[in-house]
Amino acid sequence: MSIANATTTAPAAATAAATPIFPSFEQVYQGLAGQIGMLRQMAPKPTKTDEKRLQGAIDTLIEETNADEAVWLESCIHCGQCTNACHYFQATGEAKYAPMRKMDLYRRVYQLEISPMRWWHRLIMKPVKLQDFADASELIYDSCSECGRCTMVCPMGIDTASLVHHMRSAMVAAELVPPELAALRMEQKQMGTVFGSSPEALKKLVETIREQAGVEIPLDKDQAEVMVLSSAVDLVANGNGLLATAKIMNHLGIDWTLRSDGFESANFGLLSGDMSLWKQQADPIIAAAQKVGAKTLVIAECGHAYPALRWNPMVSGGELPFEMMYMSEFLGKQAKAGKLHLTPFEGKVTFHDPCKTGRRGGAFDEPRAVLAEMDADLVEMPANKEYNWCCGGGAGIFLLEDATRLRDESFKIKMREVNESGAESVVVSCASCRLNFESGRQKNHWDKKVHSLVELVADHLIDDPASLPSSNRQAAGEAQGARP
Amino acid sequence: MSLLEFARGPAIHAALIIMAAGIALRLIGVLVLTRGADLSRPRDAFGNFKGYRTVFSRAWPSGEFTTTTRYQTVVAYLFHIATLLVVLGIVPHIEFITSLTGLSWPALPNFLGVALGTLALASLLALIGRRLAKPAVYNSTLGDYVTWVIVALPLLTGLMAFAHVGPRYETMLALHILSSALLFAYMPFSKLMHAFWFIFSRAQSGLAYAHKGVRI
Ligand code: SF4
Ligand code: SF4
Repeated sequence: MSIANATTTAPAAATAAATPIFPSFEQVYQGLAGQIGMLRQMAPKPTKTDEKRLQGAIDTLIEETNADEAVWLESCIHCGQCTNACHYFQATGEAKYAPMRKMDLYRRVYQLEISPMRWWHRLIMKPVKLQDFADASELIYDSCSECGRCTMVCPMGIDTASLVHHMRSAMVAAELVPPELAALRMEQKQMGTVFGSSPEALKKLVETIREQAGVEIPLDKDQAEVMVLSSAVDLVANGNGLLATAKIMNHLGIDWTLRSDGFESANFGLLSGDMSLWKQQADPIIAAAQKVGAKTLVIAECGHAYPALRWNPMVSGGELPFEMMYMSEFLGKQAKAGKLHLTPFEGKVTFHDPCKTGRRGGAFDEPRAVLAEMDADLVEMPANKEYNWCCGGGAGIFLLEDATRLRDESFKIKMREVNESGAESVVVSCASCRLNFESGRQKNHWDKKVHSLVELVADHLIDDPASLPSSNRQAAGEAQGARP
Repeated sequence: MSLLEFARGPAIHAALIIMAAGIALRLIGVLVLTRGADLSRPRDAFGNFKGYRTVFSRAWPSGEFTTTTRYQTVVAYLFHIATLLVVLGIVPHIEFITSLTGLSWPALPNFLGVALGTLALASLLALIGRRLAKPAVYNSTLGDYVTWVIVALPLLTGLMAFAHVGPRYETMLALHILSSALLFAYMPFSKLMHAFWFIFSRAQSGLAYAHKGVRI
C-alpha cells in the first residue's frame, strides 16, 4: 500500500506517522540551524583592494540608478510615518532600524554622483568611504527583509525595499556581503547549488521517495505539461516537501516532470544582491522549461524564488511559451477549477502571506482558495494580505547569525498577530518563513501548529471521492484534521 | 536703497529666479534619467494603469496605520492648507502676485488671514514638537531643522508685521520679504521639493506594485 493511500485511512495514518521516511520539520530546522552555523567559516575573504571595492560599490549604484530610484531618493521628507510600519523598528524601538535610514547611504552616493545638484552636494558633503558601506551592512541585510510594508504607509510611496535591493548589489561589489550569504553565493556561483545539494542528491531523493513511499517522481522527462522546481531545503533536509509535491501532482494526474538541469528554486544571487548570479541561476530553469515544452512552471514553496523567476525583470515573461506560478498559486488554481478535492481541516487556521508572494508578489487569493477547499475555518490576522507583518526572516535574514536578535524580537509581532486572530494553527507557503516560524515556535514554546501549504494539501488529498461513502469521507477528514 | 526696497526689489527677484531655475534643473535632471525596464509579464495585461490610483489614494493613510499616523497626517494637512490659503489669499500677497503676473483674485478678510497664519504657525510648532519628542521615529537631520526654521520664519515675520509687533513696520515687512526670499531660494536645495516629487514617487510605486497585482 502506498503512503498516499495509507494517509487516507485513520489507523494506517497513525502507523505511517510512527515510521516516517523523512525527519519532522522540527528536526529539519535543528539540522539546518547546525549547518547554517558553519557557513560563517566558509565565507570567502575580500580579494580586491579597498579602493576597488569602494569604486565597485559606487559604480554599481550609478549603473543601477534609473529615474525610479532617483525619484524615490529625492522624495523622502523624513516624516517618520514609515518607522512604525517596519517590524525591525517596531520590535526594538531603535532609531537606526527606521526604514528611511536604510536609504541614507544610497542617497549620499546619489547626491554626490548622479543628482543634477551634485555640484552643490560636492560642496557641502564629505565623500563616501568603504567604511560607510561596511557600517551600512546591518541596515542593508540584517534589518531589512525587503518586505515592502513601509511603502504601504509612506506618503511619498517610496519603495524602500527596492532601494535596499540596489544597496545589496553595491555590497556585493564592495565584498561586504554577510558571511552566511557570501558563502552560499559562492557555492551557488561555483556549483550551481547550495547546502551541498546537487543533481545526484536530487536523484537519490527521488529514488528514496519511490522506494520508501511508493511515490513516483518523473525525473528528467523529455516532454511535460508542467515542470516543477524543488529547493535545496527539500533536497538536503525536508524530503517531505518534495514527497508532498509528487503526491499532489500524481493525484491530479498531471503530466509533470522535475529536471536535474533546472530544479533549484533558491537564488542566492537575488538574496545577496548579485545580479549576474541571479541570471545565472534563472536562465537554465527557463531553458529547461522551454526544452520540455512546459506550459506551466511551478515554483516550489521558497518565497524569494517567486520574484527571482516570476518577477524577474531581466526575463521577458510575456514572450515565454509557459506561465510561471508559485506552488500556492498552482494549488489555488486547481482548487478554483474544481480539480482539487480535499478532506476537511479542523480548527481555526490563519494564513501568513510571505512578503515575496504576498505584498511583493500578489498571490493572495489562491492559497486561501486551497484552504477554502478544505472547508477550513480561516481567520485573518489583524494585519493581513497587503498589510501583513513579515515574519522577520525574509530576504535571507533567517540565515544571518548577526540578525538573531532582530529576527527573534520581530517574530514576537507575528506571534501576537496570530494569537489575536484566534487561530490554532498557521499555514505558511515559504520554506524560509516556515523555518523562521519553527525557530520562533521552539524558542518561545509557542502552542501553535505551523503547516506548509503543500504538505497540508498532500495530507488532505481524497484518493477517490466517489468510492468513499460520505460518512467515511467525514471520518477520513477528521483523522487528518490538524489538532494541536 | 532702504532695506525694504532691497527686499522688495533685487532680493525677492533673485530668489524667484533661483527657485525657478533650481526647480527646473532638479526636476528635469532627474526625470530625464532612463527608466529601468521590467520585462516580466504583468499579472493583468492592463492592470498596471491601476497603479496611478496611488497618486490619489495615498493622500490619506490606510486605516491599518491610523494610530501611528493620525497626529502627523492631521497636523500636516492643517499646516499645508492654512499656509496655502495665506500665501494665495491675503491682500498684500495677491498684490505681489499681480505685480509679477497681472493675475488677481478676491482676497480673504483680514481676520481670516490672521487666523489661518496663526493656525499654520501653530501646526508647524506642533510638528516640530512631535519631531523633538520622538527622535527615534523621525531620525531628524540637520536639514530637517534648517527647513523647519526657513519655513517658520516667513510665517512668524508676516504675523508680526501684520500685528505691528516688534520693530518698525517697514523693517518687519522687509524681514518678512527677506525670509520669504530665503525660502524661495532654498526650495530647490531642500526636501521642500516634495511638492513635486510626490506625484512621481507615488505613481512609480503604484505601477510597480500594480504590475504584480497588488494595490498599495
Ligand atoms: S514615510 Fe516615506 S517620506 Fe516619510 S520618512 Fe519614511 S520614507 Fe521618508
Ligand atoms: S521593506 Fe520591510 S523590513 Fe525593509 S525597511 Fe521597509 S518595512 Fe522594514
